[in-house]
Amino acid sequence: MEDPQLDCALDLMRRLPPQKIESNLSNLIELVPHLCENLLSAVDQPLKVARDKAVGKDYLLCDYNRDGDSYRSPWTNQYDPPLPDGAMPSERLRRLEVEANSAFDQYREMYFEGGVSSVYLWDLDHGFAGVLLIKKAGDGSNKIKGCWDSIHVVEVNEKSSGRAAHYKLTSTAMLWLQTTKTGSGTMNLGGSLTRQAEIEANVGESSPHIANIGRMVEDMENKIRNTLNDIYFSKTKDIVNGLRSTSSAADNKQRDMLKKDLANALHKRNQPAAN
Amino acid sequence: MAEPLSRQDKTRIVSNFILLSPPGEFNEVFNDVRGLLRDDGLLKEEAGLAAARHNKEQFIPCKIEGSDRKVLITEHGDQGGDRFYDPHTKQTFRYDHLRKEASDVKPGKSDKVAEPWRNALDTEYFSYIQKHFTNGTTSVYGSSTPDGSIRLIACTESHQFNARNFWNGRWRSQWSVSFQPSQKTAELAGILKVQVHYYEEGNVQLVTSKEVKETLNITSEAETAKAFCQLVMSAENEYQTAITENYQTMSSTTFKALRRALPITKAKIDWAKIAGFGIGKELKKAT
Repeated sequence: MEDPQLDCALDLMRRLPPQKIESNLSNLIELVPHLCENLLSAVDQPLKVARDKAVGKDYLLCDYNRDGDSYRSPWTNQYDPPLPDGAMPSERLRRLEVEANSAFDQYREMYFEGGVSSVYLWDLDHGFAGVLLIKKAGDGSNKIKGCWDSIHVVEVNEKSSGRAAHYKLTSTAMLWLQTTKTGSGTMNLGGSLTRQAEIEANVGESSPHIANIGRMVEDMENKIRNTLNDIYFSKTKDIVNGLRSTSSAADNKQRDMLKKDLANALHKRNQPAAN
Repeated sequence: MAEPLSRQDKTRIVSNFILLSPPGEFNEVFNDVRGLLRDDGLLKEEAGLAAARHNKEQFIPCKIEGSDRKVLITEHGDQGGDRFYDPHTKQTFRYDHLRKEASDVKPGKSDKVAEPWRNALDTEYFSYIQKHFTNGTTSVYGSSTPDGSIRLIACTESHQFNARNFWNGRWRSQWSVSFQPSQKTAELAGILKVQVHYYEEGNVQLVTSKEVKETLNITSEAETAKAFCQLVMSAENEYQTAITENYQTMSSTTFKALRRALPITKAKIDWAKIAGFGIGKELKKAT
């Protein structure tokens, strides 16, 4: 049963400036501490990066690889700070997790050409679930700081035959862009979009779980990328230009009239000559 | 078990949330806060202050009786005790910050020394707003000091609310100048702010602000007003154009560099190749 206070909390997080997600979330948890666990898992935050010193590789932190105050590295499967009995995936699942991290690492390189990725899996009664994370920071050229965070949560329900499965995907892409320049002052465009998808697919040698999930995630991320492009760079820009016009209303009227005159003249010209 | 939150902390957090309400969504944020706080008594006492501050910061436009124009709720018109001044009709009124309604309209007092300057600017500025802003409102304030120095403050607010399509936006600007009429020039200071919120299956916000300083020629009331508006128009055009240029750079350069539309091969990934072999080997081993 949904907690009505959770509804209020989630609605609030959809309205408050995403630029302040962390402080808003921490204030929210202070206000309704009994919702802490729900909020930490339901509210997407920009991903933090940690270093696995044992292998010299970065990994991403989220609620799904956290146990208490420790985080599990996908490379070494160890908690940092160490936790003797921290939550672990089963052996079978860990093998799949290693494969998934390797495959997703390649995906990341082909689309993001840099950045960090991590995959964490956990067992479910009739299958398993996982989170696939990517973080890519821009290089700051053109005086614009940019960052992309991907959070894909997938739930896999394996059919008893083991030859098919039902996949449910919830994907959030966060995009952060900031610039400070003389002409435009400080400009901060940020936030996230979330989408969901569900498919049934066969599972076998040529389409193992990783391939099915991979295809779903790739298609989903490509779609979200297009939508981000539209919303961020067309929609919000159109809203700004709908608040104020650089040309005066009189100019606009004149221009509209000119357009009409031109259109009429062209129309007349294109009419077959009357003989 | 954690200690219950002190009244002071609850107030701080709740006020914070209210102050961060995006344009056009105060009621929704307020209701969310109400549902989370579950203490209507505290809310009534403390939220009122946050609402007042938010309204003044947002330059909320308000209809009042006896005026053909809306008036802006700003700190410059704050008379104390929830009463505000409308410099255009020289009336004061009581403002309900939660319902956003004016009442108890009474005649007020204008500054006689500043009024000729304020009035000239008001006429020019209103005409400027009409030409460039969709749904724009302005309040122009004038005051003087005993030594004869005049201060003029022109505030602009323009918003578009479209909750049905999950977006809202607001532009605010404030331009001020202080001068002795005998001065040749004075510094014109501007603060420009735009906020846009898009929230269909997500939460995307644009928050931008800019401070401007220009040199204003001080001559007659009418000529100074014209020069004031000319400078404002140029500066606001420059800001808006620069924002549009940033959008172009962000989309054509920054965004593309974060994630490609497709891999360099121009084709989607061959997942069988990337993922197939490891698992296949495992399955074979198991059987």
